[in-house]
Amino acid sequence: MDLGLERYLRSDGFDEFVAPDGQPRPAARALCNYLMGLAGEDLQARRAAVDAAIVTMGITFTTYGDGASIDRAWPFDPIPRVMPAREWAQIDRGLRQRLTALNLFIDDLYNAQKIVKDGVFPAELLANSRNFRVQCRGMSPRFGVWAHICGTDLVRDKDGTVYVLEDNLRVPSGVSYMLENRILMKSAFPELFEICRIQPVDGYTDALYGMLAALSPRLGERPVIALLTPGIFNSAYFEHSYLAQQIGAQLVQGSDLLVGSDDVVYMKTIAGLRRVDVIYRRIDDDFLDPDVFREDSALGVNGLMRAWRKGNVAIANAPGAGVADDKVVYAFVPEIIKYYLDQDPILQNVPSFLCYREKDREHVLANLDKLVVKPANESGGYGILIGPQATPEARRQTAERVKADPRGFMAQPTLTLSTVPTLIGDGIAPRHVDMRPFVLQSNSLYATTGGLTRVALPEGSLVVNSSQGGGSKDTWIVEETA
Amino acid sequence: MMLSRAAENLYWMSRYLERAENTARLINATSQLLLDLPRGAFFGWDNLIQIVGLGALYQQIYPEPSEANVMDFLVSAQRNPGSIHSCVKYARENCRVMRDVLPRELWERVNAMYLASLRQSQNRMGHVERRRVLQDMIRDRQAVSGLLTDCMSHDVAYQFLRLGEHLERADMTTRILDITAAVQLPSGPNNAEHPAAGLLWVGVLNSMSAFQMYRRHGSNRVDGEGVVSYLVRDVEFPRAVIYCLDEIETRLANLPHNMDPLRALRVAHRRIDRMTGEDLAPHRRHETLDHIQEDLARIHDSVAAEYFHFHRGQAPQTDEARSA
Repeated sequence: MDLGLERYLRSDGFDEFVAPDGQPRPAARALCNYLMGLAGEDLQARRAAVDAAIVTMGITFTTYGDGASIDRAWPFDPIPRVMPAREWAQIDRGLRQRLTALNLFIDDLYNAQKIVKDGVFPAELLANSRNFRVQCRGMSPRFGVWAHICGTDLVRDKDGTVYVLEDNLRVPSGVSYMLENRILMKSAFPELFEICRIQPVDGYTDALYGMLAALSPRLGERPVIALLTPGIFNSAYFEHSYLAQQIGAQLVQGSDLLVGSDDVVYMKTIAGLRRVDVIYRRIDDDFLDPDVFREDSALGVNGLMRAWRKGNVAIANAPGAGVADDKVVYAFVPEIIKYYLDQDPILQNVPSFLCYREKDREHVLANLDKLVVKPANESGGYGILIGPQATPEARRQTAERVKADPRGFMAQPTLTLSTVPTLIGDGIAPRHVDMRPFVLQSNSLYATTGGLTRVALPEGSLVVNSSQGGGSKDTWIVEETA
Repeated sequence: MMLSRAAENLYWMSRYLERAENTARLINATSQLLLDLPRGAFFGWDNLIQIVGLGALYQQIYPEPSEANVMDFLVSAQRNPGSIHSCVKYARENCRVMRDVLPRELWERVNAMYLASLRQSQNRMGHVERRRVLQDMIRDRQAVSGLLTDCMSHDVAYQFLRLGEHLERADMTTRILDITAAVQLPSGPNNAEHPAAGLLWVGVLNSMSAFQMYRRHGSNRVDGEGVVSYLVRDVEFPRAVIYCLDEIETRLANLPHNMDPLRALRVAHRRIDRMTGEDLAPHRRHETLDHIQEDLARIHDSVAAEYFHFHRGQAPQTDEARSA
């Protein structure tokens, strides 16, 4: 089909597929030739087949307050995002470096707090951190690792630089969609996998199992792993059940578990109680243990923290790991890397203005129409103000919030997220994307090959969250052909 | 290792699927029967609703027992938890929760059944279309059964799936057998059974895919006593009650702590073993089938108590036990 590449480029942003001269980038050339050789109807037909497969396979996500229907089909765009293997290798090193440093940081905060004493990380930020859990002080999980699973959001700005937008260290989600997207692409476009040299993504679940198994307190025995889900109404339930299936874990809810007077975690089975060694939890700290955190939590397990502190059960991510998943802490990651590893950061941070600093705050308030303002502790895109696209009223409200709680907000320049050709109606149009690789750490490090590419489907939109009109694409790390 | 909650989900998923299939069979039996009804005969639509045990609910929804209403009620009514559509929907919900345990193709098949049922529930169907839809449903259900047999480990999860399936099937078989009670035939010469009665029983056999097997293994004549006896007491036909009980026994034998459920099972078994021709005669038949249904309900209660509801007594050293 005629891709209309000469008409395609409209903005001054960076396009992942087409170079400024209108020619496909080297890594995308094979894909581009293939698409041009494909009849327009053929592409539409395959898209229809993919959509049907998504419904039949029941790949869904859930949105809150949706009334009758709790699950929706996962919006998927069949044109992949392509990245050259050489570039990815560099990012991969950066991701490993970053998580290593973050884990050293978390472990330090809950123990000696050297980084605070050395004046690198401000004490008042720690004192005001919502996700610092005093209940975790003095704990030292195996390998010194607290954040075992990290979803790092990457974006590319108009000059081509890849930035880390945030580190999701609490309960990052999306990896199942990354895996399912690849399965969908293989079934819809099998011939592409012969034409292009695409690196596989399916090593993730093995790595996840290995990472969790290494945490088991009962060494030498086959560990019993449970994935703790809030239940079927959670937006990521599909993923919970998918991952449990893939790693052979028991998918449990809080009510399936109990902690004995021996401080061991058990699950209730048809044959009585069975010990649990490792809990891959997909619920927030707040809900983990009503004895210690929120008393009204119906999702957690009484005594879980006691069992964890005794070392009778491993929890991934460890309680309290979210202290580093804070957009104000984020701004310090370059210093954190330097401090613990004595290395320069391989991946760039987006320049950030921290509202708790008076000068930064004044700058933010004076430039609300140019900046993106983010709450320090939200996820899922909630509470974000995108200055250039916001109404004056929304900006005014955000200004009030920032003044009331300076520690709770930070701001960044509005990046022009890079674009990828996306099937819109009958044609192809550029849409903004980000990318979320997943990094694992326990006795060793692992990073996914590429990650989940999320795409903002409405024209011009920069919000890629599935809860707010985002879709996703397969992500190809390809070996460039000469 | 099987969570109590998971076991319960699997059990109910199977029961709902089996109920959907058998409701489809019940409807097909009814349709067949109506076609063969002789002049002067009367079919009680309200009796049909009584057979599936949903009389009170039906009266809340519909003004009168007409064919169109009853079919809508049994096939697609959202408000009827026993309609085929509702059963498939609940089965899918239970399956969705258990996707980690079940083969992927199984979920996809159950999901497809639900999507088809959802499309069909939007409009009222004519005879021909309904027949096709129900046949498709039964075929999908058989595909699910095949997937379980061939693509899933026959592990603990499997035992619960088969357990639920056969308990439900035994129950529904007794209900379908009761269907001729809804028909009032004019008396034949000398008060003998009306010659059309045999045809009605052929319809019942066909609805359970049992006609051929009955011909090969059952009695020579197709009449009430013969058919009821066959579908209750034949140890080789998989939809017969006693076959289902044997299957349940096999499944229970593979589970821990099976004393109480096995005891309940033996009670049901013994009743059928001791059944006489008199128990199967037209005037006693309904009561006999009712007793079997009660026995089956007791097996269910015992399975639920043993496996689905966690006993504190199993955990002498836990907080829950200490505070209890």
